[in-house]
Amino acid sequence: MSTSSQVMPPSLPEEENIDELLTLTPQLARKRRSQFRIIVDRFTRNRLAVAGFFVLALMGLAALLAPLLYHATATYDPSTYINLRESPAFQVPSWQHLLGTDDVGRDEMARILYGGRVSLLIGLSSMFMAIFVGVTIGALAGYFGGIVDNLLMRVTDIILAIPLYLLLFVLSASFSNGSIFSVVLLIALFGWTYTARLVRSEFLALKEREFVMAARTLGASNLRLMVRHILPNAAGPIIVSATLLVGANIITESILSFFGFGIQVPLASWGTMVSDAKDYFLTHPILALSPGICILLVVLSFNLMGDGLRDALDPYLTER
Amino acid sequence: MGRYIIRRLLQAIPLLFLVSIVVFSLIHLIPGGAEAVFLNPRLSGAARAAIAHNLGLDQPIVVQYLLWIKGAITGNFGNSFVDGQTVISDVSARVGPTVELFGSALIFALILAIPLGITSAVRQYSIVDYTITFFSYFGISMPIFFFALIMQELFAVKLGWLPDYGRSSDATYASSFDYVLDYLLHLILPMIVLSLAFMASWSRYTRASMLDVKRQDYMRTAQSKGVGPIPILARHGLRNALIPVLTVVALDFGAIAGGAAVTETIFAWPGLGSFFIESLTGRDYPVLMAMLLMSAVVVIFFNLVADVLYGVLDPRIRYN
Repeated sequence: MSTSSQVMPPSLPEEENIDELLTLTPQLARKRRSQFRIIVDRFTRNRLAVAGFFVLALMGLAALLAPLLYHATATYDPSTYINLRESPAFQVPSWQHLLGTDDVGRDEMARILYGGRVSLLIGLSSMFMAIFVGVTIGALAGYFGGIVDNLLMRVTDIILAIPLYLLLFVLSASFSNGSIFSVVLLIALFGWTYTARLVRSEFLALKEREFVMAARTLGASNLRLMVRHILPNAAGPIIVSATLLVGANIITESILSFFGFGIQVPLASWGTMVSDAKDYFLTHPILALSPGICILLVVLSFNLMGDGLRDALDPYLTER
Repeated sequence: MGRYIIRRLLQAIPLLFLVSIVVFSLIHLIPGGAEAVFLNPRLSGAARAAIAHNLGLDQPIVVQYLLWIKGAITGNFGNSFVDGQTVISDVSARVGPTVELFGSALIFALILAIPLGITSAVRQYSIVDYTITFFSYFGISMPIFFFALIMQELFAVKLGWLPDYGRSSDATYASSFDYVLDYLLHLILPMIVLSLAFMASWSRYTRASMLDVKRQDYMRTAQSKGVGPIPILARHGLRNALIPVLTVVALDFGAIAGGAAVTETIFAWPGLGSFFIESLTGRDYPVLMAMLLMSAVVVIFFNLVADVLYGVLDPRIRYN
C-alpha cells in the first residue's frame, strides 16, 4: 500500500482536473459513484426490500421509545409487571386502549411494545453472537484447512445432525432459567453452523487469490490476512445471512416461548403473548392476532431485506 | 458409485458415535440428573438409592454411556421412566401417525411447490411471478404455531368444516369408506400447516433452479431444433431443474422434524413429534435420548441420500 506512489504513472491528471472533467461530462459523474452508493442504489430499486427496511425501522423505533409512547395510558408497569390501576379485562379497542385489554386488564398495545423489545432484542443479540462464532469458526477452518478444518467441521456436522428445534426444546426446558440472556445464549450456541459453513467456503476460495498472496509476500501475518484482506471480501454473504438469521432466531424464540420453554413470566415476548391468548382466540382474536402478526411482519421484513441485500451486495451482478 | 456410498456410510459411523456422546452428555448434564424425575420428597434416601441402582444411575458416567450405546446398537434403549415400557415399543407405537403426516405433507408441498416454482420462472417478472414470490415469502416467514392456531380456530372451531384435533374420531364406522374419510379429514389441517413453510421455500428453489436451466445452451439448442415450448420445459428443463430441488428436500429433513413436533402438539396428533414434547415435559430421559439419536440417524441418512441422488440424477457429477 505504501508503495503505490512509486507505481503511479506520472501522466494521470490531478484530482482537480478529474472533478472539472466530471462537471463537463455528467455521464462520467454518474459512473463515479462510491461502492456504498452503488449498493444503496441497487437496494432501493427492490421495492419490497425497502418496504421491509421501513417496517423494521418503524417497529424498532416503537420498541425503543415504548416507555415514552405508552407512559400515559399504560395500565401496567412493564418494569415491575404489575397492574398500575384496575382496568376491566377484555376491553374492546378504544382510544385509551388502542388494542383493548387482555384477560387480566393489561393494555394490549403496551404489551405489544414491551414484548417487541424482548423479541427484537433476542433476535438481534443472538444473531450477533451466532455470526461472531460462525465467522470465527468458518474463517479458521477455511484459512488453515487440514486438521483445524477437519476438527471444526466435525463439530458443525454433529450439531447439524440433530434437528435444531428438538435440541433447543430439550436444552431450554432443562437449562434455561427463562431470562433473555439464557434464551439468547441457547439460540446462538446452535445457530452459527450455517454461517460457519458459508464463511469457510468463502475463505477457501479467497485465500488462493492473488491479492492475498501479494499481501502475504509483503509479510502480512495470518491474522491480518484473515481480518483485513479476506474478511472484507466475504462481507456480502455474511451480511445477508446475518439479516436472514435475525428473522429465523425470532421465530425460534417465539416457538420456544409458545411451548413455555423460552421466555418466562414476568417477562413476555410476542411468542408467549400468542400462547397466553390462544384460549381466548374465538372470543377475543385480537389478543393472539396482534403479537402473531407482529412476528410475521418482522420476520417477513428481515427476509425481504436479506434478499434485497443479496442482490445489492453481489459484486458479480451486472450493473443495470 | 457403489464405492462412494460405502465410503460415505463408513464416514457416518464415527459421526453417529460423536452425536451419541453429545446427546448422552447433554441429557446427563441436566441439573438434578436423570433421577430428578423421582424426586419425590417423601422418598427416603435408601429408596432413592435403590431406584438409582435399578436404573444403573449409580455407576460411573462412562460405564453408563457404554451400557447405553451397547444397548442402542442392538435397538435396546432401556425402559421409559414414565410408563415402564421399553423405549422401542413406545416409539414404534408412534411411528405410524408421523409417517402418515410426514408423507402427506411432503407430497402436498411438492405437488404445489414445483408447479408454482416453474410458473414463476417461466413468467419471470410478471404479475404471476410477483404474486407467487410474495406468498412464498409469506409462507417462509409465518411462525408455524401461529399458522396452526389460526387454521385450527378458523376452519375447525369456528366454521366446523374439519376436525380440530386428533387423528380420528374414535367412533364406530358404518363402512370402511367412512373410516378412511374420517382419517383423511383429520389429516387435512395438520398436513397443510406442516407443509406451508416447505412449500414456500421449495417453490423458491424450483424457481431459481428453473431460471438457471433456462439460460443453458442445451435449452437454446433444443429450441433451435424446433422443440415446442411445452416439451422443452418438460423434457429438457424440468428434468434438470428438479435435481437441486430434490436434494434440498432431502436436506430439509431435520427442519421438518422440528415442524412436526410443533404441528403434532397443537393438533394432538399422536405421532413422534408430540411424543417428544410429552417426554420432555415428563422428563422421560431414556425416551428423549433415544429419539434424539434416532432423529440424527435419519438426518444423516437423508444427507447421504441427497448426495447420492445428486450423483445419480446428474451424470455430470462423478465421485471418485
